Amino acid sequence: MSATDACVEVHDVHKSFSRGSEVLDVLNGLNLVVRQGEFVALMGPSGSGKTTLLNLIAGLDQPTVGSVQVQGIEISKMSEGQLAAWRTRNIGFVFQFYHLLPVLTAFRNVELPLLLLPLSSAQRRQQVTTALDIVGLSDRMWHRPGQLSGGQQQRVGIARAIVTDPTLIVADEPTGDLDAKSADEILNLLVELKNTLNKTIVMVTHDPRAAERADRVVHLDKGRLATQAPKH
Amino acid sequence: MKFLVLVVENIRRNIVRTTLTSLGTMMLVLVVTLVFTVLTSLDKVTTEKSSNIKAIVTEKWQNPSMMPISYAAGLSAGAADPTDPKAVHPQDSMTWGFFVGSTESDPTKRGFENLFFSFIMDPEKARTMFDNIDVLTDDQARVLIDGIKKMKETRNGAIIGEGRLAKLKKRIGDRITVYGRNYKDINLELEIVGTFPKEVSQYSDSSMIRRDFLETELDTYKASHNNKPHAMAEKSLSLVWLRVPDRPSFDKLTEQILTSPSFTNPAVKCETSSTAISSFLDAFRDIIWGVRWLLAPACMLVLSLVISNAISISVRERRTEFAVLKVLGFLPWQILTLVLAEAILIGTLSGLVSAGLAYGIINGVWGGLPFPIAFFPKFAVPINSLWWGAAMGATTAFVGSFFPAWSARSVRVSDVFAKVA
Repeated sequence: MSATDACVEVHDVHKSFSRGSEVLDVLNGLNLVVRQGEFVALMGPSGSGKTTLLNLIAGLDQPTVGSVQVQGIEISKMSEGQLAAWRTRNIGFVFQFYHLLPVLTAFRNVELPLLLLPLSSAQRRQQVTTALDIVGLSDRMWHRPGQLSGGQQQRVGIARAIVTDPTLIVADEPTGDLDAKSADEILNLLVELKNTLNKTIVMVTHDPRAAERADRVVHLDKGRLATQAPKH
Repeated sequence: MKFLVLVVENIRRNIVRTTLTSLGTMMLVLVVTLVFTVLTSLDKVTTEKSSNIKAIVTEKWQNPSMMPISYAAGLSAGAADPTDPKAVHPQDSMTWGFFVGSTESDPTKRGFENLFFSFIMDPEKARTMFDNIDVLTDDQARVLIDGIKKMKETRNGAIIGEGRLAKLKKRIGDRITVYGRNYKDINLELEIVGTFPKEVSQYSDSSMIRRDFLETELDTYKASHNNKPHAMAEKSLSLVWLRVPDRPSFDKLTEQILTSPSFTNPAVKCETSSTAISSFLDAFRDIIWGVRWLLAPACMLVLSLVISNAISISVRERRTEFAVLKVLGFLPWQILTLVLAEAILIGTLSGLVSAGLAYGIINGVWGGLPFPIAFFPKFAVPINSLWWGAAMGATTAFVGSFFPAWSARSVRVSDVFAKVA
């Protein structure tokens, strides 16, 4: 695989957390490359460092040692402000529990990241409508989260993640709070985003059935890469 | 502007909490608005004027002032030396004595409801020298002008303010007997011939009787008491008002009065009405200081705490949301601004509404804020209170919400989502 194909490059990353006098090593010299347009599932037991790795890739946290590059940009050296601006344009984040703002309608929730960009009201409206259209919720855009089912809320979460047209979508157990049917719909949507819009997706999951939908499953154990299994 | 929807929706999130916070803010802004209204009104009446000055002459060493009536003519003329061509002569003058009594004959039943407080004076001077009546048009002062006309024809006539008439359950044309308190054993049979104009509230509880009528009563007393004069007979002049055009005239007038040998026993003093009011308010100095520097700041502190409490609860409930906003790319200062904006919006609107209601109801419905000390008129809530109220609400909201907002900006994404790992 050439370097130009790589969307995410994690090189010899260590991450430690301090709890009082105790230092907890969560990631221990981890290396990972995710290709552009690839759908990767991260699996592993609790405490294996899946979410920590996801946070590093999404620019929500910094490695203790090592480097993280996304589309050739070294994000592990960025300041908090630089990371925030970078995230808005380059990362779409999908949460397990959706984390929509309950006081806002689906439209306003999806519009949130766009408020940080220099866009006119008409441009924002256009992008939000498109994103909601992609996830099939055009007819629910003025509903609040409390008026939507879990699956629909997650679709709004995905619309919020893609509304700025980011290259990379990171999803932290996106189906973990859903029934089987809704989970399947969400996974179909993620696959569709990868296939039709060439989005790179890194997904943390405990669910082997969800992981099956990925191009590659990466297993983590005690902060290291255990196995990488290309599916096809 | 594009964040306004987010701010407004967050305020609407918990209507009960927002409403309670608003009501708390409105109550405290109202208290501070009333305090400021009184303080600014007192500042206004104690500010020295440069023209159309009213001087007050009173006894120098005794309060209440009780000068002999023999002082009246000389003081009314400003103690001007007839041989001095540069002497200042007052443009107008008025003498006051005070008759305090009750319409209740039984001393054990006397109280505020049957109190009778009256100026002893030349009735015609009420039109030209009474504060705030002297600026009314003849149409506005018609009821007083008619009363004065009847008083000139009726020696025992009395003009009584509407508030006092209501308390005494009397009306124009009725007769009353007043039992003297400061003029002990002097009981007056009075006929109510008029009232003061509605436009001027400060005389609503006061009355006015003729000086010559009281003098006659004092003479009658003397005749019926073996030619022994009443104890107040030589002390019936409380103060003399003199109007001069400007400050130099006032200074000259003061010099004339203070250097005159006619007013040395008892000695008198001459001051502007503003100075006299300041001196009078000296007795309330500690209270006014406390209201200005303790009560008002305490209200604002409590207001800050009320807002701080409400915003703190809101921030604690929304830690995950702030973390989500950070994930989406919101910077810490933007989150700080969002929380501050919510508090400031509530504070500003509540302050504005509170001050607006105070302005509308107190001025429009009540005709001003009653301040029942001395003869102060009702104090009008200043139009400036509208921006005071808004600014007060905004400032206290800013102060009260700053630390909760700082806490919101400092939310660490990895801490909030740690449970997912």
